[in-house]
Amino acid sequence: MRPADKATSLSRLAAIYDSAGIYLVGLLLLIAGTFVSGEFLTPKNLMNILNAVSLLGIAAAGMAFVTYSGNMADLSIPSIMAFSGIISVAALPLGLAPALVLGVSAGMLIGAMNGFVVGRFNANPILWTLAVAFFMEGFMRFTWSNTQVYPDIEPGTAGAAFIGIFRLSIGPLPLIVVVMVLMFVTCHLVLTRTRFGIESKLVGSSKAAAKTTGINVPRVVLMDFLAAAFCASIAGIFLTSMNKLGVFYLGKGYDFKSVTAVVIGGMMLSGGRGNMLGVFGGVLVIGLLANIMTFIGINTFQQNIVTGAIFIAVVGLHQYQLRKRGKDYA
Amino acid sequence: MISDSDNIGIALRMKGVSKKYPGTLAVDSVDFEARVGEVHALMGENGAGKSTLMKILAGSFNDYTGSIFIGQKEVKLHSPSMARAYGIGMIYQELSLARPISIAENLLIGRLPRKYGFWLDRNAMVQQACRLCDRVGLDLDPLQTIEEISHHQSQLVEIAKVLGSNPCVLVMDEPTSALSREDVGRLFGIIRQLKNRGITIIYISHHLPEVFEIADRVTIMRDGQIIDTKPINEVTPPMVVQMMVGQAIDEFYVQRRPNIGETVLDVHNLTRKGFFHNVSFHARKGEILGVAGLTGAGRTEMARSMCGLDPLDSGTIEVAGKQLQQHSYSTAMEHGMLYLSEDRKTDGLFLRLSVKQNMVSAIIDRHTRCGIYSSRHENAKTTELIRKLDIITSSTSADVSNLSGGNQQKVLLGKWIAADPTILVLDEPSRGVDIKAKMKIHKAIIELADNGRAIVLISSDLPELVGLSDRVVVMRDGHLISEMQKDRLSEESVLLAMNGEPG
Repeated sequence: MRPADKATSLSRLAAIYDSAGIYLVGLLLLIAGTFVSGEFLTPKNLMNILNAVSLLGIAAAGMAFVTYSGNMADLSIPSIMAFSGIISVAALPLGLAPALVLGVSAGMLIGAMNGFVVGRFNANPILWTLAVAFFMEGFMRFTWSNTQVYPDIEPGTAGAAFIGIFRLSIGPLPLIVVVMVLMFVTCHLVLTRTRFGIESKLVGSSKAAAKTTGINVPRVVLMDFLAAAFCASIAGIFLTSMNKLGVFYLGKGYDFKSVTAVVIGGMMLSGGRGNMLGVFGGVLVIGLLANIMTFIGINTFQQNIVTGAIFIAVVGLHQYQLRKRGKDYA
Repeated sequence: MISDSDNIGIALRMKGVSKKYPGTLAVDSVDFEARVGEVHALMGENGAGKSTLMKILAGSFNDYTGSIFIGQKEVKLHSPSMARAYGIGMIYQELSLARPISIAENLLIGRLPRKYGFWLDRNAMVQQACRLCDRVGLDLDPLQTIEEISHHQSQLVEIAKVLGSNPCVLVMDEPTSALSREDVGRLFGIIRQLKNRGITIIYISHHLPEVFEIADRVTIMRDGQIIDTKPINEVTPPMVVQMMVGQAIDEFYVQRRPNIGETVLDVHNLTRKGFFHNVSFHARKGEILGVAGLTGAGRTEMARSMCGLDPLDSGTIEVAGKQLQQHSYSTAMEHGMLYLSEDRKTDGLFLRLSVKQNMVSAIIDRHTRCGIYSSRHENAKTTELIRKLDIITSSTSADVSNLSGGNQQKVLLGKWIAADPTILVLDEPSRGVDIKAKMKIHKAIIELADNGRAIVLISSDLPELVGLSDRVVVMRDGHLISEMQKDRLSEESVLLAMNGEPG
């Protein structure tokens, strides 16, 4: 193959991939799955996959706001998840609803801090949120003496209801799946139909140009981090409910997994490109992939290797595509 | 010197070179050659393909087609390092120097002298740097940082840096756009020296007088193709312009009768210490107020501070009789005062977004109800502006970065026309733009003024400033030094005033 041919076929690949290609990948995985196991294409297994990716999906929907607005990633998402869970559990004596509100507020407090510092002072989002994650881990371990926080799960208490959240179903659908889908629909509408969404796109494309266009860049960035923290808090509460306890390490790994879902869903790390439907596709693909690998008998560590490799390949493809268009600045 | 040009060797030859962008053929099977030791001017409107052709030469693309010869040898220029290795040096408008580090380190970056294989050899570094500086006639302490020296000195450092890799072909893209007249003279002296040393210089510029002063031959491009290559003494400026535009241009500046109304902008004693001091002026409805001044006179700084983009130490700003209470860009915008940035690439346009998204980016608020944005107006508005400004684009959803410089500039202006300002501050609205686009932009500016807007026009392009302005205020060293009415305006009088001489 001549270099020119290779170049065009690669860029064609990139173009196809960008436009809803993630669903094509998902379809291919569905087909591949049927060859792997007879149990793959059963409603039960498919529901399992959805159930398994729901937490990731909720967190990734939030992460997408941060990436879309050109702030790459919020690495404090795991600590937000853990913190909102711990606070909810700790506040359960006040009743279920107050506990949930407090849990989400606690998580959003971290988001507000992130958004304020990154938006107002132009802090590097990766480093800042990494520092916040480090700080929060220390803070939670210190405050709760390095132990787990258990809810009171006597039947009839708020604790029992809290534990039940993860296990609730609406008809045949688990609550968490419904929540994830609703989250994605809402986030999609927010990104495409609201001033906040449009302004996030502009800020993600060029902060400097957004400023001279009269957009309040710090406010938009603050709201993006708040959105991420809101989603992460919801995910954190489900995760805590699932584990029946709150502890500082819950949520571990959701930082990188969410960025992977966001990026393979077609959102570029440089901001301003992609959409929520793509991110949803990215989440589904990660779920399908993990499921298939489990059927084949690949263990979690090896699965991590595969996920990491896919992330590198997709980022490389994006970069290649940008350079190809003569846009080195992207 | 080039009378027996046939005996002079060919330094660079491009044969059938093409480069395709999505949707456009930016360079269309171009045959181009440059001789050893000549200054070869490359002219053409923005979007003619000059920059793309030179980017190919610089190794920015790995997917051009056609063949390139350096000397007799066919080469593949698929990466910047390959281009450099084959002796191609590039000097762009934007400098590639790192500002906080020293001249010497900038010059010798990547090949700093070492002793004992590891430690930096400071003495050798200074010596080598001095030698490189000498070649461009720069007499500076090489341990100074780039931040400490002036813009034209940095430009000479840039040239010295490129010369350090001993190029045989040196491409200069608009090297004089930020230089004063004196500095241009000095640069030309250096270009002549380089030429005598047998270096081929490809000189891209929009300035006809410069090209006629320095070039030996000129190649004109249009629509991605080469129209002609001529020895400079066989052509005249009107001939070149005609080849560039493809049609004869007659009246450039339209005469107009301004309909000047009441004062809408009144500023008093604006001061930002170290940048500008006690600047007071006013602008009226329907008026184009020119702001003249040399580079560094503080015009852009004053405009940015006035609009709330940069800090302001003291002074008051009144828009339509109301004093601005808060110093911020959003306050200025609420009062209808908008600023068109001088640098469309960094803070003017969203380069990665479409023409449409750029055009409507300033009117999001207006189409938002309770936080919900309605995009219904977008297509009509964009189409209307594209038609009005004659923007050449494949569609409204094309990436704005795929447009030529002139069309990008029109999009930038269109974005502010869409926002319907009361006062529009234009900072170099037609910098680096071809003649046709410039005419279109001027027409749009005049139309805005005729519709009752006040225009504050900052421009280094004297014909533009003199041709458009109804009144000109002159800034020098951060002070507003004089005001000139329409009847006194001429390029000479403004130039004298800018230089602080009584006109």
